[in-house]
Formats: sequence, structure tokens, C-alpha cells
Amino acid sequence: MDFSVYITIIISTVFINNFILSRFLGLCSFIGVSKQTVPAVSMGAAVTFVTTMASLITWLIYNYILIPFHLEYLRTISFILVVASFVQFTEIIIQKKSPALYRIFGIYLPLITVNCAVFGVTVLNTDVFFLAGKPVDYSLLKSIVQGFGAGAGYTLAMFLMSGIRERLEFAEIPRSLKDIPITFIIASLMSLAFLGFSGFKI
Amino acid sequence: MKMLGEFVKGVWRENPTFRLALGLCPTLAVSTSVINGIGMGVAATFVLVGSNIFVSIIRSKIPNKVRIPCFIVVIATFVTIADLFMKAYTPALSRSLGMFVPLIVVNCMVLGRAEAFSSKYPPLRSIFDALGMGLGFTWALILISAIREVLGNGTIMGVLINKNFQPPLFMILAPGALLTIGLLIGLINYITSRR
Amino acid sequence: MNQLIKFGIVLALICFAATLVLAFTYEITKPKIEKGLEQEEKNALSEIMPEADSFDAKSTDGIDYFEALSSGKTIGYCIKVTGTGYNGYIRMIAGIDEKGTIKGIRVLEQYETPGLGARINEKKPGEKEPAFLKQFNGKNARALEIKKDVDAITGATISSKAVTDAVRDTTSQFLDKIKTGKTR
Repeated sequence: MDFSVYITIIISTVFINNFILSRFLGLCSFIGVSKQTVPAVSMGAAVTFVTTMASLITWLIYNYILIPFHLEYLRTISFILVVASFVQFTEIIIQKKSPALYRIFGIYLPLITVNCAVFGVTVLNTDVFFLAGKPVDYSLLKSIVQGFGAGAGYTLAMFLMSGIRERLEFAEIPRSLKDIPITFIIASLMSLAFLGFSGFKI
Repeated sequence: MKMLGEFVKGVWRENPTFRLALGLCPTLAVSTSVINGIGMGVAATFVLVGSNIFVSIIRSKIPNKVRIPCFIVVIATFVTIADLFMKAYTPALSRSLGMFVPLIVVNCMVLGRAEAFSSKYPPLRSIFDALGMGLGFTWALILISAIREVLGNGTIMGVLINKNFQPPLFMILAPGALLTIGLLIGLINYITSRR
Repeated sequence: MNQLIKFGIVLALICFAATLVLAFTYEITKPKIEKGLEQEEKNALSEIMPEADSFDAKSTDGIDYFEALSSGKTIGYCIKVTGTGYNGYIRMIAGIDEKGTIKGIRVLEQYETPGLGARINEKKPGEKEPAFLKQFNGKNARALEIKKDVDAITGATISSKAVTDAVRDTTSQFLDKIKTGKTR
């Protein structure tokens, strides 16, 4: 297995199948937290950390606990619990070890529990990197890379959107389109631009 | 009368999709055809009603600090039940909704209602609230998916509308979904502000 | 500490109850789900080779296939093919006759993008099989090539190529195997 596969996964999750703009995962926070650049990018960094780690943990649970005992139907409940407890755990650790970091990321961490992007990537990993109940070649590494790529794509979309929205403050927008509707319309245009990546030959 | 009020508010005044902007990921992702929209709406309503009743029943017995994990477990249970039943009885629909059925668990609408409503009110009121929210979510989904299916695929419920109409692919892809919901929320804002 | 134990017990109880409910639901839906998957496969088989009266499930060298029989004579093979598409794998059944001519292809499972890659498996209203898959019929499975034998779907070259390559590679491998007579 050569290295290019992982680059392909990253490019594909960041640009082609961007988690927000083409899979619609993590849309709620995308609309909610993208008003300013600094919080938006901080949220993105927190999400990237959690998606990467959650991909690793849920893969291990799925492969070594759920599959051997034929408990695949407990996937939803176990994954969401893992994500929730991991987020909680990270919050406690950061709060104790680095109050400075906590001030930047802390408030976003609870939001991440119900962030579709995190749970979505764990489900996607098991859908895509398991074939008929068996992991495909290098399944774990691919899952982690996809987790990271999902977070990176999320951060990129957040960064771009927050930049636009900061400028939008000064624009004259019809009253009924203010805030949420205009964000969606801009997201639509961004998504259209990202469509240019599809069919991208790697 | 009070019950009816709880029911009606979810359908229009506090419509989860258009007014509260909750649960948007599945709304946009599965709204490529009306059938998908109905399927997702019904599944989410089932989860909403089931988990709201349950949360409302156990609300006094759960310590406040662990209530969120408890709610999540309850919701995840109902989601898995819905998922299994859909796989068994509507396999084609279950396949076309794919990962978005398990994703109902992170639908902010469901957890939001558990936290904001059914953890505070008795079961009967919670049922009406959940039904109203579910219906509001479903009609929003049907509207969005109808617009996208007609414009993007030239069909409605899988039936061809006009042979000569060349549908713009754009509407069935991601940008079309975002544009549709943006304009719809804008339109609804406009209607409500005029009244 | 006491409070922590209480939290733990409450959570454990809820999780236990949830698991119990789910195990029960799983048990009652499982036969139905499995039957559905089997039925899906059966439908695909009889759509690909309507003239066959029975299908024998076999496997050779990791390739699962069905031998199609018509009044006791082998008329072709339906091979399970898995390709790697854009968003994940694509599970298909490809039917070929003994010379290696494609009789039909059915997609069982795919995760391609709706509106783009998913159109490999989309039927227009009134059509019997997806237009993309129909192009394969009557072609030589060993020499399949995208853009030569089959037109790729606009904007979804990768999904189209995934189907074509997977069908060609698996069927060629299969045909080589049965020629050397290694089948069980």
C-alpha cells in the first residue's frame, strides 16, 4: 500500500467531499459559530482533534468488541457514548492542564458532542473501511486519516465562511435574508465552487 | 386546548427547520427525493416521540448532572430501533437514507426537545410537543425535497413530469440544497414579518 | 464520592435497559433483514438471467459466484464483484455467459454521491435497468474499458471507472480460474 492512498483520502475529504459543503455534516455549528474568524478556526481545531481521536477509538471498539461479539447493532449507541465521554474527558484534561487553552477551546467542546461531523465520520469509517464485517487493508490508518481530513475540511469551510461573514456585517442585505438565510446562500455558492473539485483525477 | 397549542407551535411558529434552524444536516442531505424526505421525517418523528415520552417519564429520577448522557442513551436506543425496523421492512429506503438514519442521534432537534421540553413537562404534553415538532420537521423536509426533486431531477415521487424539461443537475447536488433552504427561510421570514 | 457512585448506577441502569431493548429488537428484526438481503440478491440474479431456473452458490479463490442452471445445464455465471468507488465500495453482481459475454450487471450496494456517482444505479421512470449498466450488456467482459465500451456518467468518471474496472478484473480472474478447471 503506497502513501498516495492517504493523500487521496485527505484531498477527497477536505476538498471533494468536504464534510460541510458536500456532505452537510456539522452544518448546525457551521451556521452558528462562523460569525468571526478566531472562534470559527478554534472550533475547527477542536473538531479536528476530536474527529481524529474519535476515529481511532471507535475503530478499535468496532473491530475488537462489536464485530467479534456480533453486536454491530449497538454501533450507534456505543459510538455516541464514546464521542460524548471522550469530549467530556478532553474538556476536564484541558481545564486542569492548560487554562489558557481552555479559554480558547473550552466553550466549544460541549458543542462538539452533538456535532454531526464527529459522529458522522465515525459512522462513515465503519461504512467505508469495513467490507462484509471485515476491515479492509490498512483500515485503521485510513480511518484515522479520514477523521483528520474531515476535521481539516471542516476547519477550512469554517475559516472561509467566517471571513465572508465578517465582511458581510457591512453589507446591506434585505431584512428577511439577514443572518441565517444569507449564510445558506453563501454556503451554496461556496459549495458550487467546491463542486469544481469533483471528478478531480488523483 | 393547551395540548393543541403545544402541537401547533412546532408546525409553524417554532418550526424546527425554518424557525429554529435545528436538525439541518439530515434535512439537506436526504432531501434529494420526496420519498427520502418522507422516510426521514417519519423516522425522526418516531425517535422524537419515543424519546420525549421516555425522557419525560424518567425526568424526576435522573440526577441533573448526568441527564445529558442519559438522554443521549435513550435517543440512541430509539434511533437504533428505527434503523433496524427500516432495514427489515423498507430496505430500499433504508439504503438510500444510508448513514443518515443513525445520524438522527446527533440531530440537535431531538436532543434539544428532550432538554428544553420533555425534561420539564409531563408525558402527555411532551407527546404533543414531539408530534408537532416531528410534523413540522416532516413538512419542511417534504417541501424542500419536492422543490429539489422537481427542479433537479424532473420528477415528483419518481414520476416524470415533462419529457422536454432538462433538469439542472445543480439542484439535486449540495449547492441546490443550501440555496433552497436559504431562500425558503428568507421567504418565511418575509411572510412572518409582513403579518 | 457517594454521588459519583449514584451517577454511575443510574447511567449503568439506563445503558443496561437500552441494551436489553435493542437486543430484543435485533432478534425480532434479524430474520426479516437477512431474508430481505437474500431476496435482493435473488431478484438481481433472476433479472440478470431470466432464462435460468436455478442458481448454485459456489466460490473459487475468494470469488463468490452463482452458477446459473437451466434444466441441469450451465448457462452462465453470476459473480459477486466489489469495486472501490468515490465514497466507498460498490457491491455488484455481474452475470456472464460461458464465453465471457456480459449478460447483465446489478448494483446491490453503493455510497456514491446522489446526482453524480449514484447515477450508475439510477433508473429513469419506465426503464427496466439503469441506463449506465445497460451499456455493458453484450460486451466482452475481459476487454471492458471505460469510454470505449461504455460511456462514463458526466461528472462521475471515477464511479463509472470503478464499476468497469472491478467487473473486468474480477470476471477475468474468474474466467481464468474456471478454464484451468480449479472450481470445486
